[in-house]
Amino acid sequence: MTLQECYAAMGGDFEEVKSRLRSERLVEKFALKFLADPSYDTLTATMASQDYEEAFRAAHTIKGVAQNLSFTALYQSASALSEALRGGFTPEAPALAARLDADYAKTVAAIRAYQEGCGK
Amino acid sequence: MSATSIQDELRRKQILIADDSEINRSMLADMLGEEYDILEAEDGVRALAILQKYGTEIDLVLLDIVMPHVNGFDVLSAMKKNGWIEDIPVIMITSETASAHVERAYNLGCTDFINRPFDERVVHRRVVNTILLYAKQKKLQGLIAEQIIEKERQSTLMIDILSHIVEFRNGESGQHVRNIRALTDLFLNSLIAMTDRYPLTRSDVGLISTASALHDIGKIAIPSEILNKPGRLTDEEFQVMKTHSMVGWQMIADLPGFQDEPLVKIARDICRWHHERYDGRGYPDGLKGDEIPISAQIVALADVYDALTSQRVYKPAFSHEKAVEMILGGECGTFNPLLMKCLSDVAGQLKDTLHSAEHSSQLEMRNVVSELHRHEEMSASERTLHLLEHERMKFNFFADMSQEIQFEYTLSPSMVSLNAFGANRLGLEETILDPLNNEKVLSTLAEAHIQLLANALRASTPAHPVVRRDCRIIINGEPRWSRIIARATWSADDPPQYTGAIGKATDIHESRMQLEALKQEASHDRLTGLLNHAAAKEQILERIGENPTADFAMVIFDLDHFKSANDTYGHMFGDEVLKFIADKLRESIRERDIAARIGGDEFLAFLEYHGDLEPIVKRIFTSLTGGKYENFPISISMGVARIEMVGADYDDLFHAADKALYTLKRSTRGNYRFYDPATMQDMLSVISPIESEGTEETEEKGETK
Repeated sequence: MTLQECYAAMGGDFEEVKSRLRSERLVEKFALKFLADPSYDTLTATMASQDYEEAFRAAHTIKGVAQNLSFTALYQSASALSEALRGGFTPEAPALAARLDADYAKTVAAIRAYQEGCGK
Repeated sequence: MSATSIQDELRRKQILIADDSEINRSMLADMLGEEYDILEAEDGVRALAILQKYGTEIDLVLLDIVMPHVNGFDVLSAMKKNGWIEDIPVIMITSETASAHVERAYNLGCTDFINRPFDERVVHRRVVNTILLYAKQKKLQGLIAEQIIEKERQSTLMIDILSHIVEFRNGESGQHVRNIRALTDLFLNSLIAMTDRYPLTRSDVGLISTASALHDIGKIAIPSEILNKPGRLTDEEFQVMKTHSMVGWQMIADLPGFQDEPLVKIARDICRWHHERYDGRGYPDGLKGDEIPISAQIVALADVYDALTSQRVYKPAFSHEKAVEMILGGECGTFNPLLMKCLSDVAGQLKDTLHSAEHSSQLEMRNVVSELHRHEEMSASERTLHLLEHERMKFNFFADMSQEIQFEYTLSPSMVSLNAFGANRLGLEETILDPLNNEKVLSTLAEAHIQLLANALRASTPAHPVVRRDCRIIINGEPRWSRIIARATWSADDPPQYTGAIGKATDIHESRMQLEALKQEASHDRLTGLLNHAAAKEQILERIGENPTADFAMVIFDLDHFKSANDTYGHMFGDEVLKFIADKLRESIRERDIAARIGGDEFLAFLEYHGDLEPIVKRIFTSLTGGKYENFPISISMGVARIEMVGADYDDLFHAADKALYTLKRSTRGNYRFYDPATMQDMLSVISPIESEGTEETEEKGETK
């Protein structure tokens, strides 16, 4: 699996990130690094404990990172969720969180598949 | 370009990246790491700590807005409050396009924005631009400051030359002009400190002092026979002389083009009105009171004062004291009462002021420089910043090496930074936000101690900012004595504001414990653990001092037939008996009472009582006497004296109790007796007051050890 195919699988925009970071090596480095990012765990935990202020920050961080890496699908769901949590809990939040769960799973699965493919 | 700025340009620039996402930070670090040194902070607290530590060694901050606890706006506010924002540019990292955010960040002093997603070229360009902009700005500031200083120096020089011409004609040295300027400066500053009746700014002070040099410029038009006439002027001559103020004004008023310059306006006022008098009897216009501009009033006073203290063709020089006395006494005209107050306030400084004016026409240079500093508010010169950086580096180095806990506390934001050693020893973070509400902090140093320390620091003054306090700090769960020495930091405002403190805590546990052990040993009897006589005396005096009107009694007793116990059963046994008695004594008195072994088998108790003393004495006596220790029957004899009867002098009290005991023992034993001055005044005593105080009274101590 190429990095390009990995991006296609997660619904990301490889050309865009490559043009911004100007190096495929950097794109790969940070995409792999994303697997270790704790923000998603924080989000899951804080949503469960109804700490919506912290959940907002976690969603916001995911949004920022996804945006920087052009994980477009994940960026969009994180963006929607963080807006829904900006002022505290809103009724839309749970559905948006579920959507983010799905996009996150898809993103992580694509990166893992890529990682296994190239043995990193 | 100065040496420091070359150094500054050669130094690798340092960028602080504050973002809570590690990926985002390392993306930026990767983009910038080749050209710049990167410091990273994962939240606002860390960012502030790094700023505190490195100061202007940081050339740029990249700051995320949404961060836990202390967010980007909070960091920006703190930077503004501390004046860092003047010297350290900030670029906000944001995907928040909401204009409210943008505006708020700009208002707080941020320079630019970088939007997510990061584009390598954009990030690079923004960073380079901002750093260059700031470097240029610093350089320009330096250049402008130098030019202003040079310009001011030249114009002051021109004014000096001009006024010197006048004085040269006048047969005076240039000293008069310098004196007038120094005196004017002194009076003005004193006036400003005293009242805000006159709207004088710092820059007005400089202008008036400078313009004062021109006050007699009109004398250039006075014929030299009159100007330099050794004797008294005739009425006609005096009329001519008086024209110099109007002429001076005219000369300046005729200057084409500069009439709106503040310096020219002030010079006009001073020339024309420096011979007006507060009571309206001066010339040329007969202005009265505050119709006369304050600048002219002050120069008039300076003029009179300098004339009095200088030698003239027609008079000797008066002393400074005499001159002040003459002016205050109204012998030299009428002045504004506020100025009279200024004169008497600064009377002590006059001589030194004039003395230093002799040596320095650099006085005004100082003014210019301080003026520049004031204009630039908080931003110090580049050079100063470099010195600061150097000091900071030194401080950090020594702090890291030192084996003591060092701390720095800032009030706003409320934050403590510890040196690495201190943080490690206390088990705390190096930077702690809001330490007074931090449980970990409070578990190392009790809140009451922190509060007392904080109060003491707040109550200190800029002149005496150091506070000491010994207290126990919990280290690894164990309380240890530490000496905290802290110095409050005060702002340069007027009045100064308390801004925080720096300090250190030294471990004094061992020496303190040793001291306490020594104290314990020195004040206690080793055998029985009761106080010894000297320590008991000290405590008794203290007790009487605390409460001089209370009823106190002293009880002295010894063991009957103790010698035989020693003789029969040996000294070891005797010691056991003494311990036994000491324990009983301890049990039978109350907590506030004092018990001591004063030597051999003699004991002392000091009691406070209300009402009838006898039941108390009886109770103690009964609990001590009558029993047996092994086979030895315990019997004691007791003498009692009351302060009420003999007064509060320790020795009188002791001797009285002693005499009561002696009296008792002459007739019987195994009882107690109160001191009665009528019958016991001349009695001998049984015991020496304190062992060291002599041995002359020991002949009756037959039964003591």
